[in-house]
Amino acid sequence: MFKSSAIHRLCLMAPKPQRFRHFGETAPPGTATNKPRTLTTDATASAVDSDPNPMRNAFSKYASYLNDLVLFLSVLVNEKRERVVKASRDVTMNSKKVIFQVHRISKNNKEEVLEKAEKDLAAVVDQYISRLVKELQGTDFWKLRRAYSPGVQEYVEAATLCNFCKTGALLNLDQINASLRPLSDPSVEPLQINVLDYLLGLADLTGELMRLAIGRISDGELEFAQKICSFVREIHRELMLIAPKMDDASDMKTKMDVMLQSVMKIENACFSVHVRGSEYIPFLGSEDTNFSLLGVPEIE
Amino acid sequence: MAAGDSASHSPHSPAVRSLEKQFQEFRHQLDDSGSLRERIRSVAADIESAARVMHSSLLLIHQSRSIPEVFKKAKALIGVLIELYGKLAEIMGERPGQYYRYHGDWRSETQTVVSLLAFMHWLETESLLLHAEAEEKLGLKSLEFGLDIEDYLVGICFMSNDLPRYVVNQVTAGNYDCPRKVLKFLTDVHAAFRMLNLRNDFLRKKFDGMKYDLRRVEEVHYDVKIRGLTMKGNSTEKQGNGGRS
Repeated sequence: MFKSSAIHRLCLMAPKPQRFRHFGETAPPGTATNKPRTLTTDATASAVDSDPNPMRNAFSKYASYLNDLVLFLSVLVNEKRERVVKASRDVTMNSKKVIFQVHRISKNNKEEVLEKAEKDLAAVVDQYISRLVKELQGTDFWKLRRAYSPGVQEYVEAATLCNFCKTGALLNLDQINASLRPLSDPSVEPLQINVLDYLLGLADLTGELMRLAIGRISDGELEFAQKICSFVREIHRELMLIAPKMDDASDMKTKMDVMLQSVMKIENACFSVHVRGSEYIPFLGSEDTNFSLLGVPEIE
Repeated sequence: MAAGDSASHSPHSPAVRSLEKQFQEFRHQLDDSGSLRERIRSVAADIESAARVMHSSLLLIHQSRSIPEVFKKAKALIGVLIELYGKLAEIMGERPGQYYRYHGDWRSETQTVVSLLAFMHWLETESLLLHAEAEEKLGLKSLEFGLDIEDYLVGICFMSNDLPRYVVNQVTAGNYDCPRKVLKFLTDVHAAFRMLNLRNDFLRKKFDGMKYDLRRVEEVHYDVKIRGLTMKGNSTEKQGNGGRS
């Protein structure tokens, strides 16, 4: 128990020396790159040949020990990172499947489709998020954030999309985190999705909602599309105030631009149906009615 | 010769001392303008965040909330902006004649502010916010500090970018007379801009983009008119009905 935690702590520190080495390699060409290498080879060579100085001999041993340790630890950390990346990728893949499932919605099969989507989402949590949680348990969440962030964002997207279709409301960060709490060991700090990943996931959600809205419109569910439209507008309006305060603001800025495009796409689709609806409606009804006489009152 | 050389390069020679003095002065000057720039930037950041809150509250107009309701918060923020521009004017008052040296630091923020003010002004009066009126709204009328004409013009272009979206949402909400009004306004603004001789710069690019806004509003207007939807909203639009038959 103690051992593993000690290795753990070392793991956290391991990349540092590695980074130093990188510095040496990427330093200005010529002098800086060559110098350390010749120095070390000189030291080991002379130590092996003959050792007029026992201290030097001892130190060369320390050096190789330290090198091995660094190598070993960096492998450990990299392995862990690899596993986290892999777990995150699985979360992404399966969350995407949930999103596709939600898009299969149509007028008549709403309950059924959403039920399946929720079941799939629960499976994502049980199988993949739990693996991610286990990998990250006891580690600093921020340290490996880059490795798991894409998966978490995708999961946020899927969970909020499902919830919106079911309840018409936004799933809060606290609610998501509360649902993930049972996954982690109660003795350690539980995995909590951070604000940034949640917001980035929300930004992506609007793109999915745009697709959903367009699909609903072509299916004739105008009210649902309207509901999506005002929901997305609201999210865009709120995120606009938050976006410049986020850590990677430039990344978020492009997402905001895309989001505005999505909002406008939904608005334009609603507009087209609203205006041109006066042509479709009489068509479905009796054939000999005047378009504008029937069309206009229908819209009001 | 060797002796003379060493004398002119010794640290106490007048040549070295004057060189040192010059660079010391430079350092002071640059430190000074650097700290000034920092003060300007902090005010500009405040302007940016006030404008952002204002923009976000104005976005409610797309949800077809009533104008007084939307304007309540925005109007309060104009007060904040007046105060901030007063601060900026005060800072620049310390350096008369250097307006354009630091202009870049509040430029884009000011353009956004102008676009928001112009949009509000149009909603209220259905006319274009003039340069002098914009200065007056920002409390710059009596001050040395002014609103740069190009910033004003870019702000108007930004406002034009928001109009197609406004028109689309107004029509969806059932306000069929809106496209006609916006189209007339935007046509006038576009015609006015065409009178300008522009350089090949950012403003020119923005102006070039305006025609797409105009086209979009025209499309909406056409869509509404050809279906005879306007005749309900306005009695003068009866030809929309006649044109179709």
